[in-house]
Amino acid sequence: MFSEEIKAFKRLGFRHVLLQILNFASVIASGLMIWKGLGLITNSESPIVVVLSGSMEPAFYRGDLLFLTNPSSERYHTGDITVYKIPGADIPIVHRVLETHDDAKTELKQLMLTKGDNNYADDIELYQGLKWLERKHIVGKVRGYAAQPKTL
Amino acid sequence: MHSIFSRINNVSALLSSCMMALLAAIAISSFVLTADPKGDLGLLSVKVYPATGAKRAHAKQELAFVNFNVTADLRPLFHWNTKQLFVWVEAEFNNTKKSENAVALWDRIIRRKEDANLKVTGKNKYMLRELTKSFKNAGPAHYSLKYNVMPYVGVLTYGEAARTDAPVEFPPVQQRV
Repeated sequence: MFSEEIKAFKRLGFRHVLLQILNFASVIASGLMIWKGLGLITNSESPIVVVLSGSMEPAFYRGDLLFLTNPSSERYHTGDITVYKIPGADIPIVHRVLETHDDAKTELKQLMLTKGDNNYADDIELYQGLKWLERKHIVGKVRGYAAQPKTL
Repeated sequence: MHSIFSRINNVSALLSSCMMALLAAIAISSFVLTADPKGDLGLLSVKVYPATGAKRAHAKQELAFVNFNVTADLRPLFHWNTKQLFVWVEAEFNNTKKSENAVALWDRIIRRKEDANLKVTGKNKYMLRELTKSFKNAGPAHYSLKYNVMPYVGVLTYGEAARTDAPVEFPPVQQRV
Protein backbone atom coordinates (compact mmCIF):
# COMPACT_ATOMS: atom_id res chain seq x y z
CA MET A 1 0.00 0.00 0.00
CA PHE A 2 2.74 2.44 0.98
CA SER A 3 5.34 0.89 -1.31
CA GLU A 4 5.13 3.84 -3.67
CA GLU A 5 5.70 6.32 -0.84
CA ILE A 6 8.54 4.29 0.64
CA LYS A 7 10.14 4.19 -2.78
CA ALA A 8 9.80 7.96 -3.07
CA PHE A 9 11.40 8.43 0.37
CA LYS A 10 14.30 6.19 -0.60
CA ARG A 11 14.81 8.15 -3.79
CA LEU A 12 14.79 11.52 -2.00
CA GLY A 13 17.01 10.37 0.86
CA PHE A 14 17.11 10.76 4.60
CA ARG A 15 18.12 14.42 4.58
CA HIS A 16 15.01 15.38 2.64
CA VAL A 17 12.76 13.71 5.22
CA LEU A 18 14.56 15.55 8.02
CA LEU A 19 14.08 18.81 6.16
CA GLN A 20 10.35 18.15 5.88
CA ILE A 21 10.09 17.50 9.62
CA LEU A 22 12.03 20.69 10.32
CA ASN A 23 9.68 22.67 8.09
CA PHE A 24 6.65 21.27 9.84
CA ALA A 25 8.07 22.04 13.28
CA SER A 26 8.89 25.62 12.29
CA VAL A 27 5.33 26.20 11.07
CA ILE A 28 3.95 25.04 14.44
CA ALA A 29 6.53 27.01 16.40
CA SER A 30 5.89 30.26 14.53
CA GLY A 31 2.14 29.93 15.15
CA LEU A 32 2.79 29.48 18.84
CA MET A 33 5.23 32.41 18.85
CA ILE A 34 2.69 34.74 17.22
CA TRP A 35 0.01 33.77 19.77
CA LYS A 36 2.31 34.16 22.77
CA GLY A 37 3.81 37.37 21.35
CA LEU A 38 0.32 38.85 20.98
CA GLY A 39 -0.33 37.81 24.56
CA LEU A 40 2.80 39.67 25.70
CA ILE A 41 1.96 42.84 23.76
CA THR A 42 -1.66 42.96 24.94
CA ASN A 43 -0.87 41.74 28.46
CA SER A 44 -3.74 39.29 28.17
CA GLU A 45 -3.57 35.55 28.58
CA SER A 46 -5.84 35.12 25.59
CA PRO A 47 -5.84 38.15 23.25
CA ILE A 48 -8.44 36.72 20.87
CA VAL A 49 -11.59 35.08 22.19
CA VAL A 50 -14.75 33.65 20.70
CA VAL A 51 -18.12 34.65 22.15
CA LEU A 52 -19.78 31.66 23.80
CA SER A 53 -23.11 32.98 24.99
CA GLY A 54 -25.94 35.23 23.85
CA SER A 55 -25.85 37.52 26.86
CA MET A 56 -24.41 40.45 24.89
CA GLU A 57 -26.85 40.23 21.97
CA PRO A 58 -27.56 42.10 19.76
CA ALA A 59 -23.96 43.35 19.89
CA PHE A 60 -22.14 40.04 20.03
CA TYR A 61 -23.54 36.73 18.87
CA ARG A 62 -22.20 33.27 19.55
CA GLY A 63 -19.10 32.60 17.48
CA ASP A 64 -18.07 36.23 16.94
CA LEU A 65 -14.42 37.15 17.42
CA LEU A 66 -13.23 39.66 20.01
CA PHE A 67 -9.78 41.22 20.26
CA LEU A 68 -8.66 42.04 23.78
CA THR A 69 -6.04 44.16 25.50
CA ASN A 70 -5.34 44.42 29.18
CA PRO A 71 -2.95 47.35 29.76
CA SER A 72 -1.69 47.03 33.30
CA SER A 73 -1.47 50.79 33.86
CA GLU A 74 -5.00 51.60 32.73
CA ARG A 75 -8.09 51.47 34.89
CA TYR A 76 -11.37 50.07 33.70
CA HIS A 77 -14.33 52.38 33.17
CA THR A 78 -18.06 51.91 33.16
CA GLY A 79 -19.21 50.92 29.70
CA ASP A 80 -16.05 48.93 28.92
CA ILE A 81 -16.74 45.40 27.83
CA THR A 82 -14.61 42.97 29.77
CA VAL A 83 -13.86 39.29 29.48
CA TYR A 84 -13.51 37.79 32.93
CA LYS A 85 -12.95 34.41 34.45
CA ILE A 86 -14.07 33.69 37.99
CA PRO A 87 -12.01 31.02 39.74
CA GLY A 88 -14.06 27.83 39.72
CA ALA A 89 -16.03 28.76 36.62
CA ASP A 90 -15.12 26.90 33.45
CA ILE A 91 -15.70 29.47 30.77
CA PRO A 92 -14.75 33.13 30.45
CA ILE A 93 -17.68 35.57 30.35
CA VAL A 94 -18.00 38.66 28.13
CA HIS A 95 -19.98 41.38 29.90
CA ARG A 96 -20.10 45.16 30.25
CA VAL A 97 -18.91 47.07 33.35
CA LEU A 98 -21.81 48.70 35.19
CA GLU A 99 -20.08 49.99 38.33
CA THR A 100 -16.50 50.76 39.27
CA HIS A 101 -15.27 51.60 42.75
CA ASP A 102 -11.62 52.63 42.80
CA ASP A 103 -9.62 52.52 45.94
CA ALA A 104 -8.25 56.01 46.51
CA LYS A 105 -5.17 54.80 48.39
CA THR A 106 -4.06 51.76 46.42
CA GLU A 107 -3.66 52.64 42.81
CA LEU A 108 -5.52 50.49 40.29
CA LYS A 109 -7.33 48.48 42.90
CA GLN A 110 -10.84 48.39 41.57
CA LEU A 111 -14.05 46.71 42.53
CA MET A 112 -16.39 46.21 39.61
CA LEU A 113 -19.86 45.01 38.83
CA THR A 114 -20.74 43.79 35.35
CA LYS A 115 -23.89 43.01 33.43
CA GLY A 116 -24.70 41.44 30.09
CA ASP A 117 -26.52 43.82 27.75
CA ASN A 118 -29.11 41.14 27.05
CA ASN A 119 -29.60 40.14 30.71
CA TYR A 120 -32.10 41.71 33.08
CA ALA A 121 -30.03 41.41 36.23
CA ASP A 122 -26.42 42.19 37.01
CA ASP A 123 -23.79 39.48 37.34
CA ILE A 124 -23.64 39.12 41.11
CA GLU A 125 -25.08 35.60 40.79
CA LEU A 126 -22.29 34.63 38.40
CA TYR A 127 -19.50 35.62 40.78
CA GLN A 128 -19.79 32.39 42.76
CA GLY A 129 -20.06 34.05 46.15
CA LEU A 130 -17.76 37.00 45.44
CA LYS A 131 -19.34 40.39 46.05
CA TRP A 132 -17.37 42.26 43.40
CA LEU A 133 -15.32 41.54 40.34
CA GLU A 134 -11.67 42.46 40.75
CA ARG A 135 -8.92 43.21 38.31
CA LYS A 136 -7.23 39.87 38.82
CA HIS A 137 -10.30 38.11 37.42
CA ILE A 138 -10.24 40.06 34.18
CA VAL A 139 -8.71 38.57 31.05
CA GLY A 140 -9.02 41.75 29.00
CA LYS A 141 -11.01 44.64 27.63
CA VAL A 142 -12.73 44.22 24.26
CA ARG A 143 -11.09 46.63 21.79
CA GLY A 144 -11.96 45.16 18.42
CA TYR A 145 -14.73 43.08 16.97
CA ALA A 146 -15.35 40.89 13.93
CA ALA A 147 -18.54 38.97 13.31
CA GLN A 148 -18.25 35.35 12.35
CA PRO A 149 -18.35 34.86 8.56
CA LYS A 150 -21.85 33.36 8.69
CA THR A 151 -23.43 36.57 9.96
CA LEU A 152 -21.22 38.85 7.86
CA MET B 1 -1.42 21.59 -13.73
CA HIS B 2 -4.69 23.28 -14.56
CA SER B 3 -6.95 20.81 -12.86
CA ILE B 4 -10.35 21.86 -11.57
CA PHE B 5 -9.09 21.69 -7.99
CA SER B 6 -6.20 24.03 -8.52
CA ARG B 7 -8.55 26.51 -10.17
CA ILE B 8 -11.01 26.30 -7.25
CA ASN B 9 -8.11 26.74 -4.86
CA ASN B 10 -6.86 29.83 -6.68
CA VAL B 11 -10.28 31.43 -6.87
CA SER B 12 -11.10 30.83 -3.20
CA ALA B 13 -7.69 32.15 -2.12
CA LEU B 14 -8.25 35.29 -4.15
CA LEU B 15 -11.77 35.72 -2.75
CA SER B 16 -10.68 35.34 0.83
CA SER B 17 -7.80 37.81 0.48
CA CYS B 18 -10.14 40.32 -1.20
CA MET B 19 -12.57 39.81 1.69
CA MET B 20 -9.85 40.47 4.28
CA ALA B 21 -8.73 43.62 2.44
CA LEU B 22 -12.32 44.87 2.26
CA LEU B 23 -12.92 44.23 5.96
CA ALA B 24 -9.69 46.04 6.84
CA ALA B 25 -10.71 48.99 4.64
CA ILE B 26 -14.14 49.18 6.34
CA ALA B 27 -12.56 49.00 9.79
CA ILE B 28 -10.11 51.79 8.89
CA SER B 29 -12.90 53.95 7.41
CA SER B 30 -14.40 54.23 10.91
CA PHE B 31 -11.43 56.36 11.95
CA VAL B 32 -12.31 58.89 9.23
CA LEU B 33 -16.10 58.87 9.70
CA THR B 34 -16.05 60.33 13.18
CA ALA B 35 -18.58 62.59 14.86
CA ASP B 36 -18.77 64.25 18.24
CA PRO B 37 -22.44 64.95 18.91
CA LYS B 38 -23.39 66.88 22.04
CA GLY B 39 -26.64 66.85 23.94
CA ASP B 40 -28.14 67.86 27.24
CA LEU B 41 -28.52 66.02 30.48
CA GLY B 42 -30.72 67.58 33.11
CA LEU B 43 -31.41 66.35 36.62
CA LEU B 44 -34.99 66.56 37.84
CA SER B 45 -34.52 65.16 41.32
CA VAL B 46 -32.16 63.16 43.51
CA LYS B 47 -33.52 61.42 46.59
CA VAL B 48 -32.01 58.99 49.06
CA TYR B 49 -34.11 56.35 50.79
CA PRO B 50 -33.24 53.42 53.02
CA ALA B 51 -33.61 50.14 51.11
CA THR B 52 -36.55 48.02 52.12
CA GLY B 53 -35.75 45.04 49.91
CA ALA B 54 -36.47 41.56 51.12
CA LYS B 55 -33.06 40.47 49.91
CA ARG B 56 -30.67 40.32 52.81
CA ALA B 57 -27.78 41.60 50.73
CA HIS B 58 -29.48 44.94 50.24
CA ALA B 59 -30.77 45.38 53.77
CA LYS B 60 -29.65 48.34 55.87
CA GLN B 61 -28.38 50.21 52.89
CA GLU B 62 -29.24 53.53 51.37
CA LEU B 63 -30.29 53.77 47.78
CA ALA B 64 -30.35 56.94 45.69
CA PHE B 65 -33.12 57.58 43.19
CA VAL B 66 -32.41 59.91 40.31
CA ASN B 67 -34.86 61.39 37.84
CA PHE B 68 -33.30 62.92 34.77
CA ASN B 69 -34.01 63.95 31.25
CA VAL B 70 -31.82 63.44 28.24
CA THR B 71 -31.96 65.23 24.92
CA ALA B 72 -29.25 64.28 22.49
CA ASP B 73 -29.17 63.82 18.75
CA LEU B 74 -26.79 60.93 18.25
CA ARG B 75 -27.72 60.33 14.60
CA PRO B 76 -24.34 61.55 13.28
CA LEU B 77 -22.73 58.52 14.95
CA PHE B 78 -24.48 56.18 12.55
CA HIS B 79 -22.48 55.40 9.43
CA TRP B 80 -22.06 52.27 7.35
CA ASN B 81 -19.93 50.52 9.95
CA THR B 82 -22.13 51.27 12.97
CA LYS B 83 -23.92 48.20 14.19
CA GLN B 84 -25.43 49.77 17.27
CA LEU B 85 -24.96 52.40 19.92
CA PHE B 86 -24.87 51.66 23.61
CA VAL B 87 -25.85 54.79 25.54
CA TRP B 88 -25.75 55.16 29.28
CA VAL B 89 -26.14 57.73 32.05
CA GLU B 90 -23.51 57.57 34.73
CA ALA B 91 -22.97 59.09 38.16
CA GLU B 92 -19.41 59.76 39.33
CA PHE B 93 -18.73 60.61 42.95
CA ASN B 94 -16.00 60.37 45.54
CA ASN B 95 -16.29 59.04 48.97
CA THR B 96 -14.25 61.39 51.15
CA LYS B 97 -12.37 58.58 52.83
CA LYS B 98 -12.28 55.62 50.58
CA SER B 99 -13.01 55.50 46.95
CA GLU B 100 -13.83 56.99 43.60
CA ASN B 101 -17.01 55.59 42.20
CA ALA B 102 -18.67 55.47 38.81
CA VAL B 103 -22.07 53.85 38.51
CA ALA B 104 -24.23 53.42 35.42
CA LEU B 105 -27.83 54.37 36.21
CA TRP B 106 -29.62 53.83 32.97
CA ASP B 107 -28.76 52.45 29.56
CA ARG B 108 -30.24 51.88 26.17
CA ILE B 109 -29.24 50.01 23.03
CA ILE B 110 -29.92 51.95 19.83
CA ARG B 111 -29.94 49.84 16.70
CA ARG B 112 -31.38 52.21 14.10
CA LYS B 113 -30.49 55.72 13.03
CA GLU B 114 -34.16 56.75 13.36
CA ASP B 115 -34.08 55.93 17.07
CA ALA B 116 -30.88 57.87 17.76
CA ASN B 117 -32.53 61.22 18.40
CA LEU B 118 -32.87 60.74 22.14
CA LYS B 119 -35.59 62.52 24.10
CA VAL B 120 -35.93 60.60 27.32
CA THR B 121 -37.29 61.46 30.73
CA GLY B 122 -36.38 58.63 33.01
CA LYS B 123 -35.23 57.35 36.33
CA ASN B 124 -32.46 54.99 37.25
CA LYS B 125 -32.81 51.43 35.99
CA TYR B 126 -29.97 50.18 38.16
CA MET B 127 -29.42 50.63 41.88
CA LEU B 128 -27.34 53.62 42.87
CA ARG B 129 -25.64 52.71 46.11
CA GLU B 130 -22.48 53.44 48.03
CA LEU B 131 -19.78 50.98 49.04
CA THR B 132 -20.13 52.06 52.67
CA LYS B 133 -23.92 51.55 52.40
CA SER B 134 -24.56 55.20 53.21
CA PHE B 135 -24.33 58.43 51.22
CA LYS B 136 -23.35 60.34 54.37
CA ASN B 137 -19.69 60.62 53.35
CA ALA B 138 -20.25 60.74 49.63
CA GLY B 139 -19.25 63.91 47.87
CA PRO B 140 -21.35 65.62 45.22
CA ALA B 141 -21.87 63.65 42.04
CA HIS B 142 -21.25 64.50 38.42
CA TYR B 143 -23.72 63.01 35.98
CA SER B 144 -22.87 62.32 32.38
CA LEU B 145 -24.30 60.77 29.25
CA LYS B 146 -21.84 58.48 27.50
CA TYR B 147 -21.96 56.32 24.41
CA ASN B 148 -20.17 53.36 22.91
CA VAL B 149 -20.21 52.93 19.13
CA MET B 150 -20.14 49.24 18.27
CA PRO B 151 -19.03 48.47 14.70
CA TYR B 152 -19.76 45.62 12.32
CA VAL B 153 -16.03 45.12 12.13
CA GLY B 154 -13.23 47.06 13.76
CA VAL B 155 -12.53 49.06 16.88
CA LEU B 156 -15.05 49.96 19.58
CA THR B 157 -15.09 53.70 20.30
CA TYR B 158 -16.38 55.65 23.28
CA GLY B 159 -17.47 59.21 23.82
CA GLU B 160 -19.30 61.60 26.11
CA ALA B 161 -22.36 63.46 24.82
CA ALA B 162 -23.40 65.48 27.86
CA ARG B 163 -22.41 66.33 31.41
CA THR B 164 -24.12 68.23 34.20
CA ASP B 165 -22.56 71.67 34.68
CA ALA B 166 -22.10 71.55 38.42
CA PRO B 167 -21.80 68.57 40.75
CA VAL B 168 -24.98 67.69 42.62
CA GLU B 169 -24.99 66.82 46.32
CA PHE B 170 -26.76 63.76 47.59
CA PRO B 171 -29.56 64.92 49.93
CA PRO B 172 -29.81 63.52 53.46
CA VAL B 173 -31.64 60.23 53.75
CA GLN B 174 -35.40 60.54 54.11
CA GLN B 175 -37.91 57.98 55.31
CA ARG B 176 -40.34 56.44 52.90
CA VAL B 177 -43.93 57.43 53.38
